[in-house]
Amino acid sequence: MILFLADIDPLFKVLAPRPADWLSILPEIAVAGLSLVCLVQAMFLPKALRSLIPITARVGLVLVAIMALTNGPWVQPTDVASFAGLLRQNLPTDGVRMVFLLSALLTSFLAEGFLRDRDAAVADYHHVLLVVTAAFMLLVQSNHFVTFFLSLETAAVGLYVLVGYLRRSEASLEAGVKYLVAGGLSSALLLMGMVLVYGALGSAGVADSLNFTQIGKALAAQSVANTISPLTLTGIALILGGVAFKLGAFPFHTWIPDVYQGAPTPTTAFLGTASKAAGALTLVLLATGPFAPIAVKLAPLLGVTAVLTLLAGNLGALATTDVKRTLALSGVSHAGFILAAVTAALVLPGANAFGYDVEQIVVIYLLAYIIGTFLTAQALVSLPAVEDHRRPQLALRGLLRRSPLLASSLGFGIGSLAGIPPSVGFVAKLLVLVLLVSAKLWWILGAALIGVAISIHYYFSILREAVVRPTEDNEELAPLEIPFGTRFLIGALTAASVIGGLFVLFGR
Amino acid sequence: MDTFPATLLALAITTPILVGLILLAGRDLPRSFASGFAFGGFAIPAVLGPWLLILWSNPSTAPQQFQSEGFWGFGFALNGLGAPLLAMTSLVGLAAGIKALTQEVEGRNTYLGLILFMLGGTLGVFGTNHLVGFYFFHEFALIPTFILTLFWGGEGRRPAAMQMAIYLTAGAMVSLAGILIAIDASGVDYGAATFESVAHGLQNAKSIPAATGALVLFGLGTLASLFPFHSWAAPGYSAAPTPVSMLHAGALKKFGLYGIILLGLSSLDITGGSLGTWFLWFAVANVVLVGLICLAQRDLKQLLSWSSVAHMGPIFLGIWVCGVSGKADGLDAAAFLMVAHGLSCAALFLLANAVRARAGTYRLDELGGLAARTPILAALFIAATMASIGLPGFGNFWGEVGIFLALRAQPLWLQALVASTVVISAVYALRAVASTFFGPASEALEKRFASAPFGDLGWAERFAAFVLLGASLTIGFVPSLITKSVNPVAAGITTFSQHNAKTPVKVAPAVPTKR
Repeated sequence: MILFLADIDPLFKVLAPRPADWLSILPEIAVAGLSLVCLVQAMFLPKALRSLIPITARVGLVLVAIMALTNGPWVQPTDVASFAGLLRQNLPTDGVRMVFLLSALLTSFLAEGFLRDRDAAVADYHHVLLVVTAAFMLLVQSNHFVTFFLSLETAAVGLYVLVGYLRRSEASLEAGVKYLVAGGLSSALLLMGMVLVYGALGSAGVADSLNFTQIGKALAAQSVANTISPLTLTGIALILGGVAFKLGAFPFHTWIPDVYQGAPTPTTAFLGTASKAAGALTLVLLATGPFAPIAVKLAPLLGVTAVLTLLAGNLGALATTDVKRTLALSGVSHAGFILAAVTAALVLPGANAFGYDVEQIVVIYLLAYIIGTFLTAQALVSLPAVEDHRRPQLALRGLLRRSPLLASSLGFGIGSLAGIPPSVGFVAKLLVLVLLVSAKLWWILGAALIGVAISIHYYFSILREAVVRPTEDNEELAPLEIPFGTRFLIGALTAASVIGGLFVLFGR
Repeated sequence: MDTFPATLLALAITTPILVGLILLAGRDLPRSFASGFAFGGFAIPAVLGPWLLILWSNPSTAPQQFQSEGFWGFGFALNGLGAPLLAMTSLVGLAAGIKALTQEVEGRNTYLGLILFMLGGTLGVFGTNHLVGFYFFHEFALIPTFILTLFWGGEGRRPAAMQMAIYLTAGAMVSLAGILIAIDASGVDYGAATFESVAHGLQNAKSIPAATGALVLFGLGTLASLFPFHSWAAPGYSAAPTPVSMLHAGALKKFGLYGIILLGLSSLDITGGSLGTWFLWFAVANVVLVGLICLAQRDLKQLLSWSSVAHMGPIFLGIWVCGVSGKADGLDAAAFLMVAHGLSCAALFLLANAVRARAGTYRLDELGGLAARTPILAALFIAATMASIGLPGFGNFWGEVGIFLALRAQPLWLQALVASTVVISAVYALRAVASTFFGPASEALEKRFASAPFGDLGWAERFAAFVLLGASLTIGFVPSLITKSVNPVAAGITTFSQHNAKTPVKVAPAVPTKR
């Protein structure tokens, strides 16, 4: 087909993908293929062997993760674009892929038992989960707004399904609809922004004004000549608004508590980690890539957003008593931390902390956040609950007695989210704070520290219920049985939360 | 460099942490085995800590001693101020550990393991020279403190633990900001940011952000219960189980003072300008206002908790006067009092709990006449009280007298105010002794004794109290044990903070620690 097109117009020859292009996205192709394998298995495997499906998915994800961590043709130098400029690996590829693969893998562990308890299909969930994962992995490599939008929408459609996955639960469906409406709005913002940039730069003579590289060059030239049109700036602001929606930054964070609370808990964890990571990484990608020439204009915008996001998330979380809602709003404050790091990089290009640059710091932050979130979510999911969307703090009461393992899982998870040494969450926060100090952004530093101090209150309120010795000794507290797989997972994540931090600080 | 002491240091810090890990992992370990194991975790540092202090020698040539390089990336290292504090912590840890071993609690192995974590973290605070490591170990010790208070604590543990968590985290965050800004301003690489290199860097820094000193002073001050950020302390100590109160009030709290001295006083000019004025007034409030609060207490453990806050006042004043006068004697005495207060305060918490175990209450009006029934407990308690109010013979005497002497060049009203607190503290401490041990026993107590006669202090607790009071007596009679390592540091800081670049700076060798 493509060769045939090349006969018609030599231009197609330039556009035709080379074998190296396909190799460069081999992990993404593998994950997408894996999602199909899940479906095929669901069609042909007898009922008794259905439990193989999540196992296949996990083994596959681990293999892809190993592949992503090794050096091969799927790791390209940053100056090489593939697919005729549609993709380019600008971010530290191994870390970025690991963020999404790890998030999907852990979600799979959470989801299996959870879905089985609720009589929901496990295979379909995994299929959609893997499609979304592959789309996210592609998204953060995009170098063109077409790939950017396509992969973002692929992921979004999958996420609508995952949020409303429990068809018999009103809360899940309601969350699905809310997410659909809010997500549609954000896509509209994003699209509108792209169109404005496309039009404004295109009429200024840029050949392909959706290509990041060309946008970057054009903006650099225009900012020197001081001829950036207000239309371009509006477009960029709208695009960043769309990204802020994914990230959950102020003022686009209002959908988060409702959707996170209503969604099935494994989906909540996936939304909170992978989807937020996609937002964070695209923000880094755009802010340090095509939009870098107007950093002077962007920095105040992002800085103010960072401060407001930190305050909105933390103050909002302070007023909640439902654990899922609290964690949702605390996720907003984590978005504020990421925004702060990006702002620091815009103010002081080349800023680094302990030898890590901002892209690596964001990846470290996200990995720490994933570990903390899943440790906490694991404890929540293992607790029997009548309704998944109601998990009041009081339900955790006596957890330390019922299952010390789950309590320690919750403890390490919350500790990592709150940034308590020696957890990896502490190290991640420390890196961002160092970045802020070196960029001399005192206001954001102050907001971040106030935020951390506030966050201790709500994080510890959760932990307090789990740890405090129940006053009435006659309270019925049956010990919880934890399956071996979960125990192993909790152990591994706990070890990662401690060793990871030390490794980041001293491993170089 | 002689690596032997460095090995001892690393061993002293890592042993309790490793033993704690094993106890946490082995919740079902048999009782006798766990007890023996835990005792080892408490006892090994208690041998190594004082040993390291005795090994400390010739500080004029090497202010940085016993440095182990490359361990965990930020080698353990002991400085002249850290050495006696580490020794004190290890003894308080032993006493707290013995106390914990005699307690019957739910989840005993976890309890012991968490206390060992707390001990290891506190030892780490004084045994590392790296600013990030110093902060890191403090937080590492704080988390078990919260958990221990929440699960094993006494009355009012929920609000007290939350209040403590919020105050201490807020304080830690503020001080972290101060520490990071200071490191940044000093131009030292974060990996090599030791107290010495940062102080040295700050001296040559072109500009230091104005708020740095305030962030360090008030952030670390909160952790050391500086007025008006002290209100977490008394409820926190009261609600915590006794071994935790001993370790927290006695040892861990000194983290704040240690940082204020080595970072704030040495290079951030916390006693100058309006910040210095605030510092003075807050320290005076610590002495006078908190002293008055102590007078109003009617509960023995509350009283001890508040008095441990009040005793921070003279230490702050010692630090302040050193910065203002540029003379080292105030700091010498403050450092001495830090060590001595840790010992006496831990002994009082230990013995007060023994009182409660017998009388079933901490309320002073329900106690009385215990001296006739438990003479040894009474004698030890009185000795600890005497130590705490600064009677000669005990270590606290040198500290308090030294601070008053250092204040002699200050205005008369300040001296009078501070001197009046000696009276106040004597009044509340002696009144507590009187109403606990002398006079007629309350009816409730008589009934209790009639129904379940109690004996005198057990051997384990006697030993623990002897360790603490013995150490206090030892430094009371041989103060050079402390001063030989503290005084050179104080002298170095004084020379240094006057920005006298001509004299070689003792506390700050230009060689950064290897990463």
